[in-house]
Amino acid sequence: MRSPKRSSAEASAKSGRGRGWLLPLFLLSPALVLLLGIVAYPIVRAVWLSFHRLEILRPDLTEYVGLDNYRGLLQDPVIRIALQNSILWVVGVVLFQFLGGLVGAVILNRRFPGRAIVRGLALIPWATPSVLVALMWTWMLDGNYGLVNDLLVKAGILSRFQPWLAQPWSALPAVMLADVWQGIPFFAVMLLAALQAIPEELFEAARIDGASAWRVFLHVTLPLLLPTILITTMLRMIWTANYMDLIMIMTGGGPGYSSLTLPLHAYYTAYKRLDFGYGSTIAIVQVLILAAAIVAYLRQLRKNEVMVQ
Amino acid sequence: MMTRLRRLQPLLVCVLAVGLVLLVGSAMESLRAQAPTVVRYWLWLDDPTEPMFDQLVKEFNATHPTIRVEYQFVPLSEYHDKLVTALAAGSGPDAGRFKDWWLGEFVKLNALEPLPTHIAKWPGRADVIDNLWNTGKITEAGPVYMMPHQFITFYLYYRKDWFAEAGLRPPATFDDFLAAAKKLTDPAKNQYGFGLRGGAGGQDQWLAFMVAGGARLVDAQGKVIVNNAEGVKANQWYIDLFRVHKVAPGSAPTDAYAQVLGAFQSGNTAMFAHHVGSSVLVTQKLGAANVGVVPIPAADPKKPATMATMAGNVVFAGSKQKEAAFTFVSWLSETAPMDKWSGSRQGQLPVLKSVAKLSRYTENIFFKVSLDGANYAVAWPPLPGVGYVSAQGWQANMQRALLGQISSKDMLDEIAKALQR
Repeated sequence: MRSPKRSSAEASAKSGRGRGWLLPLFLLSPALVLLLGIVAYPIVRAVWLSFHRLEILRPDLTEYVGLDNYRGLLQDPVIRIALQNSILWVVGVVLFQFLGGLVGAVILNRRFPGRAIVRGLALIPWATPSVLVALMWTWMLDGNYGLVNDLLVKAGILSRFQPWLAQPWSALPAVMLADVWQGIPFFAVMLLAALQAIPEELFEAARIDGASAWRVFLHVTLPLLLPTILITTMLRMIWTANYMDLIMIMTGGGPGYSSLTLPLHAYYTAYKRLDFGYGSTIAIVQVLILAAAIVAYLRQLRKNEVMVQ
Repeated sequence: MMTRLRRLQPLLVCVLAVGLVLLVGSAMESLRAQAPTVVRYWLWLDDPTEPMFDQLVKEFNATHPTIRVEYQFVPLSEYHDKLVTALAAGSGPDAGRFKDWWLGEFVKLNALEPLPTHIAKWPGRADVIDNLWNTGKITEAGPVYMMPHQFITFYLYYRKDWFAEAGLRPPATFDDFLAAAKKLTDPAKNQYGFGLRGGAGGQDQWLAFMVAGGARLVDAQGKVIVNNAEGVKANQWYIDLFRVHKVAPGSAPTDAYAQVLGAFQSGNTAMFAHHVGSSVLVTQKLGAANVGVVPIPAADPKKPATMATMAGNVVFAGSKQKEAAFTFVSWLSETAPMDKWSGSRQGQLPVLKSVAKLSRYTENIFFKVSLDGANYAVAWPPLPGVGYVSAQGWQANMQRALLGQISSKDMLDEIAKALQR
């Protein structure tokens, strides 16, 4: 015969097992609610908006338009230019930030007098607010009395001042230059941290085996940096693709559409033209393109990682 | 006895709690009855460091104990977007500073309170310069939605010293203007005749030259005619200043206010078109003796024209404090506050007859030329598309035309389409 005490303890344990998920769920709920509220809801809302025509101050006039906004993409002459600019912007900025960051990390990893100070100073561009960076570079690149023009003319490289932000061929590269300057420290710091984690014995062993500095870098440093490169480059690609502050302040997407990227086109369409349906459609398309690019990038890098290993 | 009291204890606690709640509720109600009505007001300032508005609000709150104005600055470049989204979210202000650019769009969306019944009770209404009421209407016979407050007309600044040195007269016609601009252009010295503004906000300068060239945005019936032959010709003349005659700096396609002002102040340009709001900055930098001002030159001197734009005040339809909000915005349009505001660094043109005739305005050459221009100035029409054209549509198309990517006609067709949307 089972004692009543034991039976009650078993029941309690059983019920505890049954409700074991309640406590974790309760503890996770603040983060979950936040995630649902600030990530999931806007995504669902943007998808919903892309199938509707919304008069923002007259929600009663909102109407379902099916795929009209998506069909509009095919008739929008600006979308192609914005897409091309976006690709150039992301690839160019991330590539040069990475290369600059890699060089910076290797330099900062060496021992030299005042290294600690230089490491601190190197972070300044990354810590500077985007608006300040944009204004600073706008004035430095100014076509009438900018510092960059002044230096180039005095150095004899240019014969006269160039309106860097007002020429179709130079406007986007000029903004990219500002973003590369701002983003190099991010790569430098991340790669520096990864470099410092590589055991010194590996370098010593390679050198004893007679490997040159280049071969040490290629066969020891680079493979061990690869996981960090992978994650930082991916993050930076996502951030850069969505980053429009600099472009908006420095050129407004112009001259014409010369520096207009997809997020800026979506922003102008939604907030200046007040066409939130089509603006959301552009944003959704960008998300899909970006997701596809990231998946392709990760697959390619995993293949390379396997090959290196 | 004690047991009985103990039994009654919960009841006593309940009675006490209810009593306390009623007492606090009644005290709160009484406080609320005495508390002033809060009016939330939004505005932008051309110079955000200007303290005059804060002083005006303090003065209003001190003299109107039943109303408390709480204001918020929003930069002009973000003002329209923030206003739209705040109103849509139900968190918009009760009243706000407002441009005639946005009138058509907001009235179409029923977002503005019609003001005639409020204005009828306002004693200051007879002092407003008569035709300026029209800047707050959609049609001449329709209701006023925007209280006139501060307006501007565009004129032309020129370097008096350079003109004298070159033996040039201040330009009165398009031909004079072009001849002077060519003579004062020397790219080798990084010096140009005219600071053309193709970037943000340049649509007002452009419109001033368009109407001075004989173009109009709409006809008497309100039909958009900007892309007719006169429009295309005036626009082509403006584009050619940059493309053909090269009298504007290479940066002109993206130059905004800061760039054209800076280029004039630093001696890179000989002329630029703006309004009285920049007169203090320009004369402080270059010296009053070196800066001249003339009306916008005209293609035909018998038909002078320029552009005017009104920055007024509106009460939003969703406000629960419309009466108090109107009391504040109408107070801003009374003689003493208006004189203080117009005399501040914000320095735009007063809309009251009593203020405009004060000697400080009639004897100031910048105010005088501006006020004279008001007699023949043309404003943006109150069409729903003006908000978009002024925010982005004009800029993108003007820049493409300046770069030779589209023709004058293509540009105006795009603007006409956007205005009519």
